[in-house]
Amino acid sequence: MTIITKRLMTVSSRCSDLFAWVLLAVLMTVLPLRVSAQRNVWNMPQYMETVRASSFAIGTVHARDTYLSESTYDGASLGFEIDGWTGYEPYRLFSQGRTHSDIYFGLMDNPNGGGSTMEFSSRNYAGFMWHALKYSKYDFLVGPAVMCELGLLYNQQNSNNPVNVEGYVGGGVCVDNTLRFREFGYDMGFQATLYVPLAGMGFAPDYDQPYYYMYKYGEYGKALHFISPFNNIAFTQQIALVLPIRDKRLRVGFTVDGIKNYLGGHSRFMANSMFTIGFGMRYQTKSWE
Amino acid sequence: MMNRGRLNLIFAMAVLITALLPVSCAWNSESPDREFSNTPKGNFMALWTIMDEHYCFFDLKQEKLGVDWNEVKTRYAKSISDEMTDKALFEVLCNMIGELRDGHVNLTSSYDYGRNWSWKTDYPANFSKDLQKKYLGIDYKIIGSGYYYRILDDNIGYLVVESFESATTSGRLNSMFGSMVLCNGLIIDIRDNGGGNLTAAEFLASHFTEETVTVGYSCYKTGPGHNDFSELYKNELSPAKNDIRWIKPVVVLVNRGCFSSANDFAFTMKALENVTLLGDTTGGGGGLPMSSEIPNGWVVRFSSAPTFDADKNHVEFGIAPDIRLDMKDEDLLSEKDTYIEAARRFINDKLVNP
Repeated sequence: MTIITKRLMTVSSRCSDLFAWVLLAVLMTVLPLRVSAQRNVWNMPQYMETVRASSFAIGTVHARDTYLSESTYDGASLGFEIDGWTGYEPYRLFSQGRTHSDIYFGLMDNPNGGGSTMEFSSRNYAGFMWHALKYSKYDFLVGPAVMCELGLLYNQQNSNNPVNVEGYVGGGVCVDNTLRFREFGYDMGFQATLYVPLAGMGFAPDYDQPYYYMYKYGEYGKALHFISPFNNIAFTQQIALVLPIRDKRLRVGFTVDGIKNYLGGHSRFMANSMFTIGFGMRYQTKSWE
Repeated sequence: MMNRGRLNLIFAMAVLITALLPVSCAWNSESPDREFSNTPKGNFMALWTIMDEHYCFFDLKQEKLGVDWNEVKTRYAKSISDEMTDKALFEVLCNMIGELRDGHVNLTSSYDYGRNWSWKTDYPANFSKDLQKKYLGIDYKIIGSGYYYRILDDNIGYLVVESFESATTSGRLNSMFGSMVLCNGLIIDIRDNGGGNLTAAEFLASHFTEETVTVGYSCYKTGPGHNDFSELYKNELSPAKNDIRWIKPVVVLVNRGCFSSANDFAFTMKALENVTLLGDTTGGGGGLPMSSEIPNGWVVRFSSAPTFDADKNHVEFGIAPDIRLDMKDEDLLSEKDTYIEAARRFINDKLVNP
């Protein structure tokens, strides 16, 4: 298992690194040269229309959770993401909806040959977007979002308190950009989305509070904390290149999510850097009811 | 004036760069917390600090054993050098945490399990496995992993609980109590039971009370200070619902080998009306353990949440029995277990003089 993990880590790390640089280089080269007229490769959905993209993800994960250990862990991560864009009534202030759900599973090793840790995490966001800039080749949307994140670390070497669960539910902002351009005779699109939570409620044990005591004494209240950027900095960032393949849209991207928090007297840092590939489809919604 | 297309492009690029900024930040981010280096000195400091911020018995150990954790650091730091081997480092670190004389404090590496078991080894064993086997015979019943029983010749039940690593079941206990319905009493032998799960100990104890009883208290650390503790939470033992409950006399046999959840079982049972503890003071282990890791991957286990008995006394140094007894050499020679024989006499006396 260790050998497979290390190989996965190496391969995914190289893939992610390489992909990020290649994508950046391509974009920097292509964008100034050939921004063409309006294309329909990834238009914002109209009223009662939904665009949904499903992607597989592979990448690296980096974690440190002082409830379980004073050490840092690095490894490989696999995941699945679903993104959605929905058109609401055009006269509304928030005329577009933006959703994102993902689930990641990661295997990590202590770089010094110590223990290993598993990560299960999931993020769900729903943004209500104001179409701030609307051009033939470019859409810029911004709006409030509700978010929830749940992360679970399982330390395989730690038999007494092997698991730490942390998460938050809160509100924040979502920014979504779509740029359409033409290159090599094909219509293409580039997207970037950023979610940042600002305030809400977080769950984390109260310093050394054992989970057994939470259950035994019903002391969940002390594990709930108000979160703000002062004690919980988190973001999810996606960039993706959209390429037309017949009636579908190939979506090749890169997702980074990071969280740094200090809740209940313990600090936690976790970052996933994921290379993603999937397809986008456009649906007509028959009825909202 | 800049044309609209170029303006849009600049805007898009600005957004792109802004959007990529967090990516690069996360990509290159280092943990904001203190990092101990993976050197002998770094590992030494990591271990000392983890214990300093999370171990729960410093005041108690200072009072009873004279352990000053800052003095321990100064003393052992002199033995640490960057040239020392891993095994030498392991020995020094084990000796350092061994000062606390706590069975729940251990350091685990790939080649050894650092411990200080003086809570057991410095005292008489008061237990013979061979004698226990003789009393159990060959036709004893097994009602779970480490749970064995038989009915002794004088109509007294004898239950051995080797470990609380796993719990038995209601059905099995009901079956045992059913077969002992005509017995005059029950001896529960937990000698050399090194503990396991608290829930397994509580589950067994819940079959010996008819009402909810306050058996102790617990708290946990709420911060890095040596005295940062939560309020005390009451530990109540409720009767096992829908199960057969034993209300006849019970004698629990204890020795120095009773540790951790076996220690919890001892003070829980001691709080019950029909139960008598017989033997030697238990080994202790009154702190719920947690674990952490130091930079080289060695795992440190430590007591982090103290437990108290019904009178709010620490149970870290063990539970005194109601009847203090030592195994007699002459009994051993005649293949008699002093503890079991004393327990039988106690129950039979109770029958005559309730």
